Amino acid sequence: MAADDTQLLARLLAGEQQAFKELVTTYQSAMRAVAYAIVGQRHVEEVVQDAWLSVVRHIASFEGRSSLKTWLLTITANSAKSRYKQNRREVLMDDLPSPHGTIDDDRFSPGDGHWLVAPFAWHQDTPEALLTEGELRDCLEHTLLSLSELQSSVLLLRERQGLELEEICNLLEISLSNVRVLLHRARLKVFATVEHFEETGEC
Amino acid sequence: MLTCKEQVARSSDYLDDQLSFGEKWMVRHHLMFCPNCRRFIRQMRLMQGTLKAMPEKPEDGVDALAERLAAQRRDDSP
Repeated sequence: MAADDTQLLARLLAGEQQAFKELVTTYQSAMRAVAYAIVGQRHVEEVVQDAWLSVVRHIASFEGRSSLKTWLLTITANSAKSRYKQNRREVLMDDLPSPHGTIDDDRFSPGDGHWLVAPFAWHQDTPEALLTEGELRDCLEHTLLSLSELQSSVLLLRERQGLELEEICNLLEISLSNVRVLLHRARLKVFATVEHFEETGEC
Repeated sequence: MLTCKEQVARSSDYLDDQLSFGEKWMVRHHLMFCPNCRRFIRQMRLMQGTLKAMPEKPEDGVDALAERLAAQRRDDSP
């Protein structure tokens, strides 16, 4: 078990409130993303509440064979699946339209596959510099909301939570090829949003 | 040699290290000769970093939840 996990676990077992606060602050958004992917927006909060109760109930039997994070996310996925077994949704590969489109076939010459409209050079070259433009943040939030629930969950679990593709497959019970497709489509839409913003200064 | 369109289609798999050795080589080879695609990949990485760096919405009710969970744990333990 990682040293951080071991220390935190000891404090959790002792029922230390501050330790639970750290756990919630560190992992709840990842848990929410997993729940969102499986049951959709409407039931996220119930599932996350279920998951927390289950975490407390079983914390004494956590053996550290996975990281604490993986364990928490697995419990969340199980809570989501058991609660909504009957009406569990199909894996929807729908690709919804996004505010600034995507990098689609129109960008390339039908003849030789070269760029027709080359990628616009962004003005900033670090994430921090890009995000100082407050409007871009709102603009990105808007694009993330336009993605399907599954697409945005996969994107957030990968880019923000740093999960491996295999972990995402296991948690959400979707194939690796589906994860790859969801991720790629989502990234191209987000790319198009940043490009649009850098090019026009507007959302 | 890959076209730019084919390179873009493989870009996520390239960034996630999901390509076979041969395909990875083809992407690298294309990037070596194509400044537009180099810019595209660089900006894809920048976009990834930006998503990661976006501030999280503050969680509501963390203290109350932590209090409940800690109390529950103390009740459960012998």
